[in-house]
Amino acid sequence: MPNNFALGNEKPWSRRQLLKLGLAGAGVIGAAGLWQMLNLQSKSIVKVPPLDMEAPDDGTNPMKMLRDFDYGTVKQENGRTIREFQLTAGTSIIKLNSAVSYNIWDLNGRIPGPTLRAKQGDRVRVLFLNKAGHSHSLHFHGVHPAEMDGVRPISNGKATIYEFDAEPYGVHLYHCHIEPVTRHIAKGLYGMFIIDPPTPRPPADEIVLVMAGYDVNDDGHNDYYAFNGSPHHYMDHPIPIYQDQLIRLYVLNIIEYDPVVTFHLHANFFDVYRYGMSMTPSEKADVITMGMAERHILEFAFRYPGKYMFHPHQDAIAENGCMGQFEVVAQSKSQKTVNNS
Amino acid sequence: MRKIRYICLTAAAAAIVTLSSCSSTPTAENPSAPVISPQATEAVSENSHSGHAGKEKININSAILSELDKFEAKLGVPALSNKIQAGRPYGSPEDLVTKKVITQEQFDQIKDQVGVQEVVLTGEAKDVDYMSKLGLMKGHLLVAQELLDQNQPKQAEPHIGHPVEEIYVDVEEQLNERKVKEFKTTLVSLQDLVKSNSKDSKVKTNFASSMQSVDGAIAALPAEQRSKPGFVLQVINELLDSANSEYGAAIADGKITAPIEYQDSRGFVVYANDLYKGISSQVAQADPEAHKAIDSSFAELIKVWPAAIPPAKAVKTPNDVTKLVKTIEENSQKVVDKSNTKA
Repeated sequence: MPNNFALGNEKPWSRRQLLKLGLAGAGVIGAAGLWQMLNLQSKSIVKVPPLDMEAPDDGTNPMKMLRDFDYGTVKQENGRTIREFQLTAGTSIIKLNSAVSYNIWDLNGRIPGPTLRAKQGDRVRVLFLNKAGHSHSLHFHGVHPAEMDGVRPISNGKATIYEFDAEPYGVHLYHCHIEPVTRHIAKGLYGMFIIDPPTPRPPADEIVLVMAGYDVNDDGHNDYYAFNGSPHHYMDHPIPIYQDQLIRLYVLNIIEYDPVVTFHLHANFFDVYRYGMSMTPSEKADVITMGMAERHILEFAFRYPGKYMFHPHQDAIAENGCMGQFEVVAQSKSQKTVNNS
Repeated sequence: MRKIRYICLTAAAAAIVTLSSCSSTPTAENPSAPVISPQATEAVSENSHSGHAGKEKININSAILSELDKFEAKLGVPALSNKIQAGRPYGSPEDLVTKKVITQEQFDQIKDQVGVQEVVLTGEAKDVDYMSKLGLMKGHLLVAQELLDQNQPKQAEPHIGHPVEEIYVDVEEQLNERKVKEFKTTLVSLQDLVKSNSKDSKVKTNFASSMQSVDGAIAALPAEQRSKPGFVLQVINELLDSANSEYGAAIADGKITAPIEYQDSRGFVVYANDLYKGISSQVAQADPEAHKAIDSSFAELIKVWPAAIPPAKAVKTPNDVTKLVKTIEENSQKVVDKSNTKA
């Protein structure tokens, strides 16, 4: 599986450490100093703490979904890069808690669907197969011709191809667009679609968080909520991140029925890149308001080790499952020694 | 000092940019063997003005089994149609080879007829598709009727909505050429009415006219075609395929937790069973063994949905239902194949 960051053995680099190195090297600044720095840098960019991958035995695997990006199959056709993705809609059952099982429509056997990732200007080709009974479709956010807009129903057993250029760069999404769209989205047919900018963003531990709701009795009100498909999962299994490391969160609000939620991070402030469509943050905040289908890039680093919650500040929604925590892991002493030598 | 710090940061930034530009194109390192595929690109550009260049192509992503039978017959590969269906989706015709559905030599024999882009259906395939879509509408309405009769308008409402929301757009363009009056307005106004005031006396009459509209659209197909086993069985299997998926989507832990999907599947199976009754004596004559298998499977299948309101416990597992549906499909295929070779 391709990764967008290299996993080195050295300690991860943070802005602060780069700064320190810069200060230490002040006396020998010049070509040699730069060269040394590049050399050191080339071996390690971002490190991810080991994960407890224990997951429910169904279409959810929240720990894996955090950093799982689908870059598709790359093909060259007539001098163009084509990224081909395969998405199959199916049906499956997930456990919302120890007592409640729920039927979802999944994409490639998971909820949310795969996080698709392309680079601005790539040609994106999505092969969509519907094996989920009802008619479904895939509607991508972004810029594309009308016939690729994905509002036409694809009936059960049939496949279709969506093809368009990846533009503009940003954090986008895709979802089924068959009426009633509320139900088709709420039952699982959605995912994140990231278009990377032509100049890559700085290295960071990149994490995907998709907020969603579950209306288990079809009454138009959500009974449960979740980050990445599984209620309360990250509360019970905190997401390990390293102290002082730049974290880049890709956050999407796909909660149906509740018109707006916020995203709040404890004990910190984050830089906001609205819709991921700029390279410079627009603001700093610890709560951001997100309407339906809004999504942003949030960047931060934690100064102190420990556990820190994140959740919508509509606390009833958090209490019903949309709640998790980061576990900030300190750098070990031995690692520090290795790195500073 | 500040200046030095700035220089270092710049250097670091440069390093980051350099490094990440190396690491951020990970898939370029392991692309699947580059496929130069002029056909695929042509097909894309054909998309906007399809259907007039040379031979008719068959869309392997959406063709029904009997259409795919043309490849099966030409190449003499048993069950190839099912294999093609199972290998979906295809990004290009060549995927038939890369996905190991057929060999390169076999592909070379049929490549002129294979496509992956949307094609305008013609002939029998078009009719099967049309009737299947209307059959799904009919199934939705049948179960809606039952629920209305049991004074359950809230449960009936989605089944009145589905024909318009999920299916109508697929038959819309054909209605004119088949000289069928549009009936979207009828369906939508029935849905509006049930949503706003289900006790309204107009519900009954509106419902009757909705049902008539769907029946009328089905009747636009020649009666002779609608009584031909080879044709009707294809429609039946399209309906059962959807019913099968819907049933799977209705059950969790042996309980029916999604009544809407249970009811959808009930409607489709009930209507498929009705359709089969209309042709069963002909099938029995043409292929007694196939008939026996289909007939007994239907008898088993229909028991899975004892009423429109779901039972507390599922009668059969989704797996068992899949088996019955597959048995009907396999035996139907024999009958369809026979009628195709006769034609």
